[in-house]
Amino acid sequence: MTHLRTVLLPPVLAIVFAALLCAVALLISGDSPITALTVMVTQVGEGTTAVDIVNSAAIYYIAGLAVAIGFQMKLFNIGIEGQFRLAACVAAIVGGALALPPVVHTLVIILVGAAVGALWASVPALLKAYRGVHEVISSIMMNFIATGLIAYLISTDSFGVLQGNNISTDPIEPTGHFAGISFGASGTIFGFVFVAAALGLAYGFMLNRTRFGFELKASGESPTAAAAGGVDARRMVIVALLLSGAMAGLVGLPELLGRDYAYTLTSPQGYGFTGIAVALLGRNHPVGVALGALLWAFLDKSALALDNVGVPREIVLIMQGSVVLSVIVAYEIVRRYELAAEQRRVAAQLRAAASAPAEVAS
Amino acid sequence: MRISRGFVLAAAVLTSALVVTGCARDTGTQQGGGGGAATECTRNSPPAAAGGAATPAPIAPNADASALKVGLAYDIGGRGDLSFNDSAAAGLEKAISDLGLQQANTRELAAAENESEDAAATRLRQLVADGFNPIIAVGFKYATALQTVAAENPNVQFAIVDDATVELPNVTPLVFAEEQGSFLVGAAAALKTTSCQIGFVGGVDVPLIHKFEAGYVAGAKAVAPSIEVDVDYISPAGDFSGFNDSARGTEVARGQLDGGADIVYQAAGASGQGVFEAVNAANAPDAPKFAIGVDSDQYNTVAPPVNEVIMTSMLKRVDVAVFNYINAVAAGDTSVLPEAFDLSVDGVGYSTSGGKIDDITEQLDAYKAAIISGSIQVPSERQ
Amino acid sequence: MKILYGMQQPDEGTISVDGELVSFRSPADAIRAGIGMVHQHFMLADNLTVAENILLGAEALHGMGTAARQRIAELEGTVGLQVGPDVLVERLGVADRQRVEILKVLYRGARTVILDEPTAVLVPQEVDELFATLRRMRAEGFTFVFISHKLDEVRAIADTVTVIRRGACVGSADPKTVTSRQLAEMMVGSELPSPETRESTVTDREVLRLTGIRLDAEGGGRPVLDGVDLVVRAGEVLGIAGVEGNGQTELVETIMGMQRASGGTVVLSGTDITRSHTLRRREAGIGYVPEDRTRHGLLATQPLWANRILGHQTRKPVSAGGFLGVLDRAAARRDTERIVEEFDVRTPGVDVPAAALSGGNQQKLVVGRELSGDPVLLIAAHPTRGVDVGAQAGIWDVLRRARADGLAVLLVSADLDELIGLSDTIKVMLRGRLVADADPATVTPEELGAAMTGADAEGAA
Repeated sequence: MTHLRTVLLPPVLAIVFAALLCAVALLISGDSPITALTVMVTQVGEGTTAVDIVNSAAIYYIAGLAVAIGFQMKLFNIGIEGQFRLAACVAAIVGGALALPPVVHTLVIILVGAAVGALWASVPALLKAYRGVHEVISSIMMNFIATGLIAYLISTDSFGVLQGNNISTDPIEPTGHFAGISFGASGTIFGFVFVAAALGLAYGFMLNRTRFGFELKASGESPTAAAAGGVDARRMVIVALLLSGAMAGLVGLPELLGRDYAYTLTSPQGYGFTGIAVALLGRNHPVGVALGALLWAFLDKSALALDNVGVPREIVLIMQGSVVLSVIVAYEIVRRYELAAEQRRVAAQLRAAASAPAEVAS
Repeated sequence: MRISRGFVLAAAVLTSALVVTGCARDTGTQQGGGGGAATECTRNSPPAAAGGAATPAPIAPNADASALKVGLAYDIGGRGDLSFNDSAAAGLEKAISDLGLQQANTRELAAAENESEDAAATRLRQLVADGFNPIIAVGFKYATALQTVAAENPNVQFAIVDDATVELPNVTPLVFAEEQGSFLVGAAAALKTTSCQIGFVGGVDVPLIHKFEAGYVAGAKAVAPSIEVDVDYISPAGDFSGFNDSARGTEVARGQLDGGADIVYQAAGASGQGVFEAVNAANAPDAPKFAIGVDSDQYNTVAPPVNEVIMTSMLKRVDVAVFNYINAVAAGDTSVLPEAFDLSVDGVGYSTSGGKIDDITEQLDAYKAAIISGSIQVPSERQ
Repeated sequence: MKILYGMQQPDEGTISVDGELVSFRSPADAIRAGIGMVHQHFMLADNLTVAENILLGAEALHGMGTAARQRIAELEGTVGLQVGPDVLVERLGVADRQRVEILKVLYRGARTVILDEPTAVLVPQEVDELFATLRRMRAEGFTFVFISHKLDEVRAIADTVTVIRRGACVGSADPKTVTSRQLAEMMVGSELPSPETRESTVTDREVLRLTGIRLDAEGGGRPVLDGVDLVVRAGEVLGIAGVEGNGQTELVETIMGMQRASGGTVVLSGTDITRSHTLRRREAGIGYVPEDRTRHGLLATQPLWANRILGHQTRKPVSAGGFLGVLDRAAARRDTERIVEEFDVRTPGVDVPAAALSGGNQQKLVVGRELSGDPVLLIAAHPTRGVDVGAQAGIWDVLRRARADGLAVLLVSADLDELIGLSDTIKVMLRGRLVADADPATVTPEELGAAMTGADAEGAA
């Protein structure tokens, strides 16, 4: 079916192209691409790498979904980064301060995360809806504000506790943890991985089966047609960005509830930007984003092995960058080609149909 | 129409935000004359020299490390950061040349920016899996990962620089009394200033850098109680870009210089280069300005002519710690290592390259001796 | 036509220009061969001047300085453009914009100009002026390919006529001898459709009443709509005539709720919907065939069945209702198949993207959708614009049937024959006001044209 080809061909082409590019870069720098690839693939079987890939992919997936919700209506929520970091920080503080029964404790932390993410996204949402401020600009500003606010929140004067040279929030009691699946020495899969999968299903259902999803896609495809069709543009902007923000608020939680149990100075950053790349790779499709997240996580985690054989790890950055670029280009080429082919096909079918019974009134 | 209005508004927001941060940066700086209007500082006399400060004896005699396989996990930047990681690398090289460690039996891995906790753990595990023992983690960001990996591998020796929170028998903390070294350069700044106003530029507003600030301020006030110390950080806690942004380093240092400070101490990693450049630009024959380097002897690492403004550097001898740790492991006894690498074991100190402080070394050594003897207690937290 | 201008490649066949075989891979190739095209929808940047619009993309030809201006000045005479080169395009009327378009292709060195439905946007007087210009240029040696479905005009201007039906050449004719009827029969393949409506079906039941509708211009100035009052009754087709840009678009969008009226009320079947949102208005029974189906009517890359949902997302059969607003995709598909069947949409299936259909079939789909869900009022803005003759006849037929079933129709059109043929009442719109009424039984296109341009004082009286 042409549809399947449209979906699968571009990423495959892009990955092949990006891999070739990396191979050339490696050859130029005097390393063997075969060795690099072998090392990266075998690394998956080593230690906790396989589990780490799954865990990271879940995080990237949630971030990718958060971005994809906005992308559906051509809203570029570049503020996922700030939303997720602030949400993780506040969720850690609230989770560490509360003493609640199991499950409830975890749920409260998750809700706090989603609420803070949505709240942080509400500022660009309202500015966009009522003042026309471009969401890229306002959400970038919100990222900076989030950085400052987090610094304040985890300072020892507020909620932070000094731990050696690090500052950490109060650890969350075990009642608030989200149990994972342990594979012994191979690591523990976060329980949140399943939440991520459920979020993906919900996203797919929302997109394809509900009025909101339809209106979201319609607004993205043609704001004018959507408006004529009775879609409230202002409401869509607000709801889409709030949902995106709430989703972003969950990005930091797999690690918070499954491994770190506290927010620290060295808590990871950059997932928001990874999410953008992953959403682009997956073309905002629930399955596509999942595959993109897995690919990204594989590249990230198995890259650690490259240092061991003396291959510069930066080659993975080249790979990641070029794969995103080439996916975008490949999708565009295939899309144009398919549309033209479709038009030809429809015309040909109609010609054939018309010439059989020589009827009138086209 | 609509979009352009949006952009105008956003631009306005942006501008005002910049103005706000710009203002916030001038903490407690008075409208001082930027020029040479020298305020007279009342200076205390140094403590009576208690036997001078002789070079301390080595911690332990050199052992044979030829049988060891040493792994190093660097912090972000790795080798070539002209600072912290390079200092650790120097310690490793000294072990190779002095202790018979085989070059082939070493491996150095570096962290990437913004990586997750599990990447740090994976890096340590890789070193374990390939038979390295001991393994030295450079930087406190390895603390959590090390806690896990060291517990998994009780037979492997680990060391961690800048962290003392991992309490396991096979983990040796390598921490430094940064405040003591900073005290001495603070004292040096107070002795050299002509405007009675000096500056401190921290990279990121985190506890580790607060130790530098605390010692520096204490040292300066010990010499000149009325001295004014401007303290600024490049980025807030959690945003580590402040260690790697020399443009903002320049900006912050220029602000202090314009406010009247004539000596600026930087504890800002790679951003320090920017601080040096700002000082160099403000330096004039009739109103000399100086900078103080950090971690290594930056008079020797920074390219001329900018290095001419570096009057001294606060030395944090990660190389000493790394070398001594390898030596101790080779000898089979890590208990000889000090609890903290401080002035008494030359774990911290100040440099004299360039000869800019030759006239005050005697006074500084007096302070140094007083700290070693315990008659001066240097605070490690800001007041 | 797209092939001739290099926008698409032919699967077979050849093109020769001046006896030389050429192949166009892009419009740039076509321009190089001296072929230029004036699109039906103008491709001008409103916020640039005439000269800037002409130079845009052709800077390499004569630079952007004096040489370029001199060349523009020469060509201005050729196309009969009176305004100076430094006037902003947004200040120009439709006819002048068209001249700028022609000037643009001449500046690029075209000797053969393709005109795609050039008269669709012009009033009769402007058509005459255009024809005068074309005749003068023809005398100077320019060649024109004039594409139109207005047969009188084709006969008036053309030297030879070629009729194309469904992608195939069905014949050529000599415009001096052929009649419009003969041409039309060649186009349709059978007898001629006409927009005539038969006996009146107007009832006295009011469906839409506008009272004193005002719409202020963005940033002040003369209101775009000013004191518009009108009533459409069940079974009535009310036609709005007017030169484009006199407020018809805004009138329609105000009724649809896409723009908020600054004053006045909109009452639908006795309910005040002035403050209602577009979706509420649609739910209350307004169907809307927008003037630009690609901008306002369709989601180009979405399949037909998804396009069926647009505007109906809250209503049966495509919505299964419920708190989540779950959509019933199977029902949407089935109902799209019904539309395809009933409205004769030529498509291989309901899963093809809307963009794959021809304009006429897209429009039939839109009309079919807007007549779904039992509307009480249909707003049809230029319902047959850019549509082939067969689809045009089909759409006219649909409108006539709906009217007979008691639907109220507000018809906005620039095709005066269509207006006169379909409407029960015609109102003329000029500068945001309804300035004249006309009786479609007696009025001629020329009279209507005069009222539309305001040239006719008694029409306004």
